[in-house]
Amino acid sequence: MRTVLKVVDNSGAKKVMCIQAVKGKKGARLGDTIVASVKEAYPNGKVKKGKVVHGVVVRAAMQRGRCDGSEVKFDDNAVVLVDKQGQPIGTRVFGPVPHELRKKKHVKILSLAKHIA
Amino acid sequence: MGSKVLPQALLTIPRQPNQCPTKKLVFSNVLSRRSSPLNSARDSFSRVSSTYVGSIFDPIAVAMKKRAFVVRAESNSESEAEAAEEGGAVAVEEPSEVKAEGEGEAGAEKEATLESEEAKPPRKPRIKLGDIMGILNKNAIEASEKERPVPDIRTGDIVEIKLEVPENRRRLSIYKGIVISRQNAGIHTTIRIRRIIAGIGVEIVFPLYSPNIKEIKVVKHRKVRRARLYYLREKLPRLSTFK
Repeated sequence: MRTVLKVVDNSGAKKVMCIQAVKGKKGARLGDTIVASVKEAYPNGKVKKGKVVHGVVVRAAMQRGRCDGSEVKFDDNAVVLVDKQGQPIGTRVFGPVPHELRKKKHVKILSLAKHIA
Repeated sequence: MGSKVLPQALLTIPRQPNQCPTKKLVFSNVLSRRSSPLNSARDSFSRVSSTYVGSIFDPIAVAMKKRAFVVRAESNSESEAEAAEEGGAVAVEEPSEVKAEGEGEAGAEKEATLESEEAKPPRKPRIKLGDIMGILNKNAIEASEKERPVPDIRTGDIVEIKLEVPENRRRLSIYKGIVISRQNAGIHTTIRIRRIIAGIGVEIVFPLYSPNIKEIKVVKHRKVRRARLYYLREKLPRLSTFK
């Protein structure tokens, strides 16, 4: 809620503000989907300012534990915009993405990413 | 059956030697009671107790010898519950270890104590409660070191870690970066690696003795004057970049 996240695909938005975590009462973590409102956008893009979109959190400054005892944390909070079915709106993803997306079945985002952390 | 009589017998035996003169009769009663059920089980026991009943010259000395004898026999041959009453702290904490040892040595020590009534068997070093976690951690680390030796890693080392990820079964993931902290916690000793990947800083915590880690290699070392390099988060990305 109210967290401003960076958009790291070429869908046209620059910054979105989280309105709701789609699943879970306690909020969304790395790998979860959120409902967000676009706060800042590029002039010619697929999404415009004020639009309500869904996104997948691909980078979080809060550490996320893995099952082997390791933890991963990034320096910023970033999101990739997706449609209701989970397919990304953009065609490119910038920056590293974590493994956790594989378990959440966001295979398309993983395949678009340049680096998997 | 014999085991059930013994603890009560122990409790009726007076703890302080001064009480013995007044309770001499009780003492001999107890002994005679004890000898009958033991006859069936352990002949050697009853033989010794009958000699003690006959010769109560010095009640103090006899009481002390009797008590010492009974205590030793108890801790050796009985289970943990009875031994705990006598203050045998060893048996309570490590029941599996002591029970195995106790049963193995019960036969040998019974003969030893009966042959030489005055000589004590060699004392096993007692494992204290506070040492258990340390011992368990040490064993776990030794077991993991046998599989894969872990080099000495300190803050400021630039390391390369080859990790096997269950999801990515085809190829080992390689993580390179500078160690910004090391937390020592026995088997869960961890190191935190920082690196700039594609323009974004990433910090990953790795447990050193994890079986998923296939190789750790120290590539370089940077001179640092701290144990935790958290200041690198505020500095230029250039300082955390490693090719």
